[in-house]
Amino acid sequence: MSIRRQCYEWRNVGESKNFLITPPLVINNQANDVILNRYPISAVNYKVGEASEKQFWRVVPIQPNQVVDIFNGDIGNNLDIPGQLKAYQFIVLDGIAVYPETFNAQIIVNTTRYFQDPDRVPSRMGGISGNAVPYPNGTPTLRQVALGLNGGIGGIINYDFTDGLNPPVIIKPGDRWAVEVTNNGEVFPYPEGSVALKTATDVGVARCFIKYLLIDGADCIVAQRLIDAGWPLTVENLWRYKQDIIKTHLYAGMAELPEEIANAKRKV
Amino acid sequence: MGIRKQLYTWELHGDNTSGKVGDSTGHYPTVGVEHSILYGEFGYVQPARQTGLVREDEFIVLEKIASTPGISPYEFSVDAVGNLTRWTPNIFVNIIIDTTNYYQDPQNVWSSGVSGFASPYPRNVQDEPYYSLWPPVYVLPDQTVDVRYTIFNDIQLSAENEAWNNIPQATMLAGVFVEYTLFNGTDAMIARKLMNLGIPVNVGTVENYRRLLLKSRIGN
Repeated sequence: MSIRRQCYEWRNVGESKNFLITPPLVINNQANDVILNRYPISAVNYKVGEASEKQFWRVVPIQPNQVVDIFNGDIGNNLDIPGQLKAYQFIVLDGIAVYPETFNAQIIVNTTRYFQDPDRVPSRMGGISGNAVPYPNGTPTLRQVALGLNGGIGGIINYDFTDGLNPPVIIKPGDRWAVEVTNNGEVFPYPEGSVALKTATDVGVARCFIKYLLIDGADCIVAQRLIDAGWPLTVENLWRYKQDIIKTHLYAGMAELPEEIANAKRKV
Repeated sequence: MGIRKQLYTWELHGDNTSGKVGDSTGHYPTVGVEHSILYGEFGYVQPARQTGLVREDEFIVLEKIASTPGISPYEFSVDAVGNLTRWTPNIFVNIIIDTTNYYQDPQNVWSSGVSGFASPYPRNVQDEPYYSLWPPVYVLPDQTVDVRYTIFNDIQLSAENEAWNNIPQATMLAGVFVEYTLFNGTDAMIARKLMNLGIPVNVGTVENYRRLLLKSRIGN
């Protein structure tokens, strides 16, 4: 029974197979593009470009128009199974952010895509753009990076979704959900085979962040009651509903008794 | 005594060596493994390494956690004489109450927690964190709270590349920040009472309850 603020972050970072070897300092420049149920371990590469090179850091390129599922897309940190809610869980998805600005992010619940174009077709760009919801806030644009200005001036700020998605996306018990990112620009960050993939800084790492409220256990029943009554599913409303339940229990039995009972003869 | 706003900071600094495996042993945390900021073996932890047991006359409301932002190990900086002046640990932070992890991933199993990008520390002028710990986490009397970090960038393996020759003690390599409100004594009792009534526990509600109690006594 709880209401917990959760988050999940995806990155297009692979992991060198050197970390699977003990000791890791042998020459092996192979990497896994996908890492399950954790984040990849990394380090500065050893002697890049030299004969003794050993790889410990690699960014996986995302091709133009490529769509990547951040849970099960076979790139970067992934999960074993798709996101699916148990019978006693609700999710209130209220925050999403993506980088770089040429990427878009789409929320999918069961078979429905959240963001759509005005003609009611699911967003052809692939959802909300990194220009609107940069991650992290204040991140430099790719043009600033290309000009070498990423250290000194401000980047893109999230002004339009400062409070997240409002209203949020409610995902109900048993629903399947996913988040996809789409690359609408050039190959990011560099083409396959480029040495720069092995020396990329943070501006070369694509990422997507989601933030949600996980309501489970007895609170899930409260959430269902709020939805049935048409109330927004917020922390404050959940608290308020529980307060009311407790209050009614406190006063239970304190009401005036009906006259016939109050005046009835006492029986021993 | 009363209600106190508390904070706790864990920091990992250099050890005035190159950081290579042969030069430095036992100073840097093993990567991919979680360590406690309260009693772990690395960085500035409490000298006696006490666990975070909440006493029977205390009540804690955990309100903020943050850590060093950044992902790539190539975000490092070195000064003219070869001192490492900046490092990106690629760190995640998790909260553990007794044996339960606060953070779990969408497949409902343990996750590393929240990253420094989502909730940065130290926070620069341009940083607008996406993540805030809302609702806050209550830690009740006789429960044990722990905050654990996991670092994914291996500084010792990186040192083998010889991009720097020294990691000065002045260089902060990783940090975790925790902010909480500590209610103790009678205020902890009030906090517990409010929680049982389903009322949010914060400084305002506890002070208000105390005012109501005093008022009812004066009235009698």
